[in-house]
Amino acid sequence: MTIDIKKYSAFLEQVASEIDIPPGKYQDAVDRYQAVGRWLEDGEYPGCQGELSICVQGSFRLGTVVRPIRDGIEACYDIDLVCEIPLHKDQTTPQAVKSMVGDRLREHGTYKKLLDPEGRRCWTLEYAEQDGVGFHLDVLPAVPDARSLVDTAIAITNKAGNIYSWSASNPRGYGVWFDGKNAAAFARTVFEQKQTIQRRASLIYASIDKVPDQLVRTPLQRSIQLMKRHRDLRFNHHERIDYAPISIIVTTLAAHLYDNEPDVYSALSGIVGKLQAHAALVEGKAIDRSLAAKGLIQRRPDGTWYIGNPVNPAENFADRWHEDNHARARAFFAWVDALQKDLLNILGETNPRLLKEHLGRVLGTAAVTKHLDILVPPTPVFDTPPRIHITSPAKPWREE
Amino acid sequence: MTEDLQRQIGELTAVHKGLTNVIERDTDMVVSGALSFEASAEGLETIIESFDIELTVPNDFPEALPRVRETGGRIGTDYEHRNPSGTLCLAVPVEQRRIFLEQPTLLGFVNRLVIPFLYGYCFFKKHGRHPFDEAPHGYEGILRHYVDTLGLRDEVAALAVICFLIEHGYRGHHDCPCGSGEKVRTCHGPALLALSRAHNQQSMRNDFIAIFGLCFAKFQEGKVSIPKPLRTQLVRLLDRFEYQR
Repeated sequence: MTIDIKKYSAFLEQVASEIDIPPGKYQDAVDRYQAVGRWLEDGEYPGCQGELSICVQGSFRLGTVVRPIRDGIEACYDIDLVCEIPLHKDQTTPQAVKSMVGDRLREHGTYKKLLDPEGRRCWTLEYAEQDGVGFHLDVLPAVPDARSLVDTAIAITNKAGNIYSWSASNPRGYGVWFDGKNAAAFARTVFEQKQTIQRRASLIYASIDKVPDQLVRTPLQRSIQLMKRHRDLRFNHHERIDYAPISIIVTTLAAHLYDNEPDVYSALSGIVGKLQAHAALVEGKAIDRSLAAKGLIQRRPDGTWYIGNPVNPAENFADRWHEDNHARARAFFAWVDALQKDLLNILGETNPRLLKEHLGRVLGTAAVTKHLDILVPPTPVFDTPPRIHITSPAKPWREE
Repeated sequence: MTEDLQRQIGELTAVHKGLTNVIERDTDMVVSGALSFEASAEGLETIIESFDIELTVPNDFPEALPRVRETGGRIGTDYEHRNPSGTLCLAVPVEQRRIFLEQPTLLGFVNRLVIPFLYGYCFFKKHGRHPFDEAPHGYEGILRHYVDTLGLRDEVAALAVICFLIEHGYRGHHDCPCGSGEKVRTCHGPALLALSRAHNQQSMRNDFIAIFGLCFAKFQEGKVSIPKPLRTQLVRLLDRFEYQR
């Protein structure tokens, strides 16, 4: 007997929604960052003409948010906000732009208190929330990059020691690119999902058209969420944490490889299968010709790796993959194999206890336990004699 | 009672068959009965024993951990590791959470924390010493736990560590809060990761209050100094917790 694929796909969908941001929390986050945006927009910036432009980027923008599970505990959500000041890149400096935004944030009584010391690229506001689930709101100062051919390109600031420089970025362009990959599946599912969300969160959304598009999830977005959660748990060990595949790589490759599959299971198997087909690159060997032609993951003659930013091919997301004897590349493909094994090749496992343990370990116990009933009806528990061998016991203590 | 908790209680009572009573009290679930075990530890004798216990599972379990009482009248008030409220004091809270998370179920809680505690009690009664050592009482025990497990210089370093955990969790590329000047990942990385895994919001907050309380007392006596960046961070955290100084 094996697990029914349809049921398993429904289970994956439920687990993904469990690790997603809930609608109420999403609304809180939007309120917070919009308030910050308005405050920044109302500021005075020397030499600046025209309107500031504030936009959200990263997983909040893309609908691929996963509740971070840092070190086994659920951590705060990270939100990236781009604050684009209409100044000419050549008539200002990265340091000036960075401090304009920092100064403006410090003018606000509350933000001043929430502000972390200056970061490499951004200013971080630490929001603690009453339910214990807070946000790190990263504000990235930027200016338009007029020299770029793409009109959505921006230059963001970079601080190394006391030296400031510009880096190219294009979060808006990336968002539009991702939406394109997602569009057909989105159109297919939008009405039904908004209906469900509205029913479940009727206090937040009075009618279906009040439900924002950003809460709708396609099989592509669900697959990315599951991959990210699996990654977070797998690389949760200190020795490996620095080699964990970065979200932008996971998101970019998944979006490229998604073939409009109608459900999470088939989307995930499609993506993972095609990623596995790239593994021979680690040994410098050739891969399937049609995949090689797409050039999503490339090996250059000098041995370095290339995964291009789809809206800025000059940016290489895999620029560190050759370091430490290709440690990141190896970690990536080992992780892809684990995805296959942990999430796809398990339909033959029907022992409920093993299934629960196994899926819990790779996707998080809480989310898995909650929806395991989709896969297996609750069963009686197993028996062991209460013979205990004590290892690494705690020292007894006492409250005062 | 959630289905998951129901299942966990089922798992527990199937293994520890003497725990036969399951009732709901206010918002808590209470499991009680005889807890029999045959326990051994590395290099130490095997002890076969049975205690009457009562396990109170709070409704926010596993965020908050169960409280345990020995109800057969064997462990008296003269035993050091009983809380003033009569519950058994299994370990310093963060250590309790760390061990619990190794097997985060009621059965794991009983097997890894309650039975070793009872084993330790029996051993102590027999030999007059604790087989697994013991932690100092109160806030001091919490502070010591940080200083000892991380090998920290002093209480101010412990304060910096707990502040760091609250604000950042584990961040490999940040400067290590111990003050060495190294990055976290090349310094106290593994230890910080282990602590931050074990903690939740409430336990971090409690440890913060404990360590801050001890440091602040010494600070007022002029025995320690608190560097400026840490002070700024403290103001922020105290604001956050609306802690009454």
